[in-house]
This record gives sequence, structure tokens and C-alpha cells, in this order.
Amino acid sequence: MAKFFNSLRDGVGFDLILVGAAMVFLLALAGLPLVYNVLMSFQQVDMFTLGQLIRPFAGISNYVAVVQQPEFWMVTRNTLVFVVGSMAGQFVLGFALAVFFAQKFPGAATIRGLFLVSWVMPGLVVGAIWSWILAGDFGVLNSILRGLGIIQSNIFWKSDPSFSIWAVIIANIWLGLAFNMLLLSVGLAAIPRDLYEAAELDGANAWQRFWTITLPMMRSTIGAVLSLGLIGTLQQFDLFPALTEGGPANTSNVAGYWSWQLSFQLYDFAKGATVSVMMFVLVLFASILYVRSTRHEVRG
Amino acid sequence: MKLTKLGLAAGIALGALMVAGPAMAQVTLKIWSIDGVDRVGIADTFSKEFDEQNEDIVVEYRGIAFDDLVNETLRAFATGNAPDIVSFDNPDFAMFSSRGAMLDITDRIAASEVIKAENYFEGPMNSVTWDGKYFGIPKYTDTIGVFYNKDLFAKAGITEPPKTWAQLTEYAEKLTDPANNVYGATFSARAGEEGTFQFLPIIQMSGGGYDNVNTDGAAEVLDLWKKMIDNGWASRDVLSLGQWDSTGTFNSGNAAMAISGPWEIDRMVEDAKFDWGVALLPTITEGGDRSSALGGFDWGIMSTTKHPDEAFRALEYFAAQDHRIFEEFGNIPARSDIELPVTGVALKDEALKVFQEQLQYAQPRGPHPEWQKISKAIFDAMQQALTGQMSAKDALDQAQATIKGITG
Repeated sequence: MAKFFNSLRDGVGFDLILVGAAMVFLLALAGLPLVYNVLMSFQQVDMFTLGQLIRPFAGISNYVAVVQQPEFWMVTRNTLVFVVGSMAGQFVLGFALAVFFAQKFPGAATIRGLFLVSWVMPGLVVGAIWSWILAGDFGVLNSILRGLGIIQSNIFWKSDPSFSIWAVIIANIWLGLAFNMLLLSVGLAAIPRDLYEAAELDGANAWQRFWTITLPMMRSTIGAVLSLGLIGTLQQFDLFPALTEGGPANTSNVAGYWSWQLSFQLYDFAKGATVSVMMFVLVLFASILYVRSTRHEVRG
Repeated sequence: MKLTKLGLAAGIALGALMVAGPAMAQVTLKIWSIDGVDRVGIADTFSKEFDEQNEDIVVEYRGIAFDDLVNETLRAFATGNAPDIVSFDNPDFAMFSSRGAMLDITDRIAASEVIKAENYFEGPMNSVTWDGKYFGIPKYTDTIGVFYNKDLFAKAGITEPPKTWAQLTEYAEKLTDPANNVYGATFSARAGEEGTFQFLPIIQMSGGGYDNVNTDGAAEVLDLWKKMIDNGWASRDVLSLGQWDSTGTFNSGNAAMAISGPWEIDRMVEDAKFDWGVALLPTITEGGDRSSALGGFDWGIMSTTKHPDEAFRALEYFAAQDHRIFEEFGNIPARSDIELPVTGVALKDEALKVFQEQLQYAQPRGPHPEWQKISKAIFDAMQQALTGQMSAKDALDQAQATIKGITG
């Protein structure tokens, strides 16, 4: 008995308790809702069966119905454009800023810190601000572009089907930029200075140093940033209701917002669940990538 | 001495018991609505009054944000915690009444001294009717018409507000003045209920309905709307602006006509620095069929209530206050037997007269248990046509196919 308690305090038992607590937490708060969601996607759900667990089985008919929706392919295409566009913008600009602020100049650290303001802001607030900036007739962005002579007539960012998804992407890049920059800054700071000094002595120019030292040393950080970026982008919700509501005619609708619309605006909970299960498979893929890239990091 | 003290204490205790006595027999009514969340409204005010005036009833009022009301009620109903009385936006009502979630009050209305079905406008009453039975009563109503800037009309040499949609388009062209940032017209064609709210009346006046959307007349007007947007007679942002923001551009003098409803009047009296008026929604051909949107909320008792008698008493109290709602909250009663008081503000009184006439033509959205899906099919089609992704006819045909799949 004493041995058992000893093991609980300092031994395998203690490890099991720690792991167990984390697992219970994870299962209760993430696992159960997830299983429930998957279950719902195979059932017929309406307001009378909302509170029940056992409902009429629907097979894959929900999945078939979702794919047959006229907007399905447009939403899929938009989701891809949104994810790739947002991630590319956040990553490239974030990396550029991280490298810039890694240079030693007065106030570098302070200004870098100020960038966090954008990340701290709630998505709905950011959405509302960008909604004014991107407004068609009296928006600031249009005034600037017209003043610079880039455009002749106003661009209706939120109402023109060829620009609507980009309106959300622009706002999302701004929102996620600081987070990307911060993670990449940490990665940059972890690269030993002497590597650069040695390379410089050997005559490597700035571009060569970036290409042969910075990038390879940042491999795992970049992997993590991109995976988190993918998850964050797929999760992005607040900007959509604040900017375009997925319109006009679904041209800026993405899977996450569509799933919410189906569940909580059209009260078609089964289809909403189905779309989110489809998204989950995508995020799962990204999570595996993320776990792999961080595992690499731990083992050095 | 000691005994008297004890007796006194006992007396006090007994007295307290007697005071607390009636409380034992009290009935608790749970009332949910969107009022009182951001500003004082009908439901929170009258619930409090009803609570104070009735010793035997305790009202637990809860204000819920507009966007959450239906979801919250669905959840509560599914888990057996539904409120006794709830107030829904009229197109949402049928989802609940058609599935037996609302109490049939047909007989109670027939027996009531206060609530008389014939006093209500037909449209609002239809929205609480399902299968020939009454499941609630209208709380207030509203509709849409055309606000027009009389100063700009005079400048352009136009004397009368437009009677047909073709005329509205023609006037919009004349009134557009890019140099002064003036669009001819503004409306709300956004991807949401507001979009359907403004477009469904066109379908209805062309002889169609929510279950018959691909009429020639509707396609014709849709093409006119598209023409206004493409030619810059209306801002392209009508596709994303809600009615409140859209009419804001009218108030600031940046649009010469605006399609919106009576909820705009108070702000317009304050903000608009020009002479304006309201006209009935145009028709498709001169003298053709009229229609307009029907807005407003309904009261209903949920079928799970344990106190239907007390709940109906509450509804009777609310209905008895209908004559106060215009003055106190700016809402129009959905009743033909109530004369709206004259406010003395000429513009406001004029506008209200027009909206009261317009209300006679207002038709409800639905009622249909899956209204939200039908509504999405309609505003999707409208947006597809207006953005040029499909021709008006094709978009409406596609919507018709989707709607047929829903209505069966």
C-alpha cells in the first residue's frame, strides 16, 4: 500500500495522474463535442431531437446533400483562396517584418512590441474598422488608391464579387501578421550569432546568409507557424459577419462561416455539423504536420 | 416578562407568515424577448408593469440579443426549459408554431374580451396563424416604402414620386450626380433577411409568392436594379449595406431615394437637412398589384407552459397597452382599431400616414417552418443576378428549384 502511494507521489503513478488529468480534460472538453459533432453529421436533426443523443440515422445523405448544394464548390474554392492568400500574406509579411526588427536599431524591440496591438484586438472590432476602410463610396483605402492614381473609379471591396473574398483576406492578413512576426522573431533570435559571423568571414553575402543559414535553421519554426496559421485561418469567423456576411452571392463565403450559417441561421444542424466534420479532417491534417514539425524541434 | 417577549416574537413570526402567505400561491411566468437588451422596449416595460400589478404572478423577464433569440429558445425548448411567453420576429414564428412548440390560443382569443382577431391587420395575423389556428398575436408591425428627397427632386424637375419600378429607375438616372456624390437611389440587397425583406414584395406584386419566385415581373425588376447598380445610379454597396446604413446615405444627402421603413423616421427628422417625403412602394406596371414587406414581432405562448391561463392574461395585458406603443417606443400597432396620435412633427405625421396605407398591402414572409432556407434561396438568387453571375431569370429559376425542394 505504502508502495502504491509512494508511486503516486514520485514514480510511474505520478506520471499517470498527470497524463490522466490532461486526458480527462481533453476528452471532456474537446473529445466529446467532437464525437457528438461527427455523430450529428450522420443523423437527421431538427428542433425536437436537438436535446437527444439517439436520432434517426441518416447515413451519408447529409454529406451528399452538402456536396449537392449549389454553393458547395464556390465555398470550397473560396476557402482555398482564403487560406492560401491569408497564410501567404501573413507569412511573407510577417517574416519580412521579423527580419527587419531583428536588425539592431533604436526602438526596434519597442516597435515590434507595438505590433502586438493588432493581435490583441477582437476580430469583430478589426472587422468593423476594416469595414469602414474598405467601404466603397467613402472608404479610406479607395481615397488613397485614387490619390495615388492607381485606380480611376472606386473599388467596391465588400460588394464586388471579384474583390469580396480579398477584402476579408486583407483584414485577416492584418489581424494575423503580428502573431506570425512574433513567432518568427523568436525563431530568428534562437539562431546563434557566430554562424552569421563565420559565414560573413567566408564571404557570404546577405542573401546567401539568409538562404543557407536563416531558412534551414528556422525549419521547425516555419512549420509550426504555417500549421498554426492554417488552423487559425480556417477558424476565422469574426471578420465574416463584420465585413461581408459571405456575400455577395456567397462569393466570400468560406467553410467555417458556411457551417455556422447552416446551423445557426438556417437551423439545419446536421448539415452544419457535416461541413465542420469536413473541415475537421483538413485541420487534423494540419495538426499532424504541426506535431511532426515540433517533434523535430524537441529532438534537436 | 419572558413570556410576553416570546409571545411578541411568535406574533411577529405569525404576522410574517401571513404576509408571506400569498407568495406560496404565486405563479412564475418566464418571458423572453429582444427588448431591453440595448434599449427599453415593449416587452421589458410591460412585463414589469404586469408583474407589479398582479400579486399572484411573478414575471421573470429575460432580454436576449436578436441574433441569439431563436437559437436560445430552440435549445431551451429541446431541454425542457422553455419560457412561458416568447416574442419572435414574424418569419421565425412559423418554425415554432408548425412543430407544436406554441400553444393553440384560438379558443382563448374567441372568448377574450380584450384580444379580438378581427382588430388585427391581415398580414401580421397570418404570421401567427398555422393550419387555420391562432398560435399568437402580433406585437407590432412595420413595412417599407420609398423615402424621397424633395429638394433634389425639384432640382431635377421631377414633381411626383415614382409610381412604377421603371419610373424609379428613370428618376434614379436623372437624380444621379457624381460630382456631388449623389446616387439616384439606395436600397438593401444584402445577403441576409433584410435582402429578402426588400425583394420579396417585388415577387409578390408580380403575382408570385415565396413558393413561386421565378415570375417574369420579378426578373424584370431585378434587371432594373442591376441596371441601376451597373450604371452607378445606385451604389454597388447596396449589396452589403443593411437598411439602416443604406438609409444613412439618404439622410446625408448622398442618395435621392431610399427604400426603408418607419423605424427610420425619428432619425431622419433629426439628421436630414432637406425636405423629404414618403411614397408607397412602386408597382411593376402603372396601377398594378401592390405589395410590401411585413416586419414586426409576434407574441406567443409556448406549448410547454404550466400556466396557460396566467400566460394568456399576460398577453391580454400586453394587447391592452397597444395604444401606447407608438408614443413610447415608436412601434406601429398591428391593429386597425387604434388611431395613431398626431405628434405635431409634420414630416413624421405625413410619413406615418403613408406607411399606414402601405401596411394594408404588406404580406408576411411565409409562414413556413423552414422559412430561413427559403429566404436564403431568395436573397442568393437576388445577389447572383445583381452581381451578374447569372441572368435574373436563371437565378430565380434556380431559387425556385431550391424552394420546391424545401416546400415539397
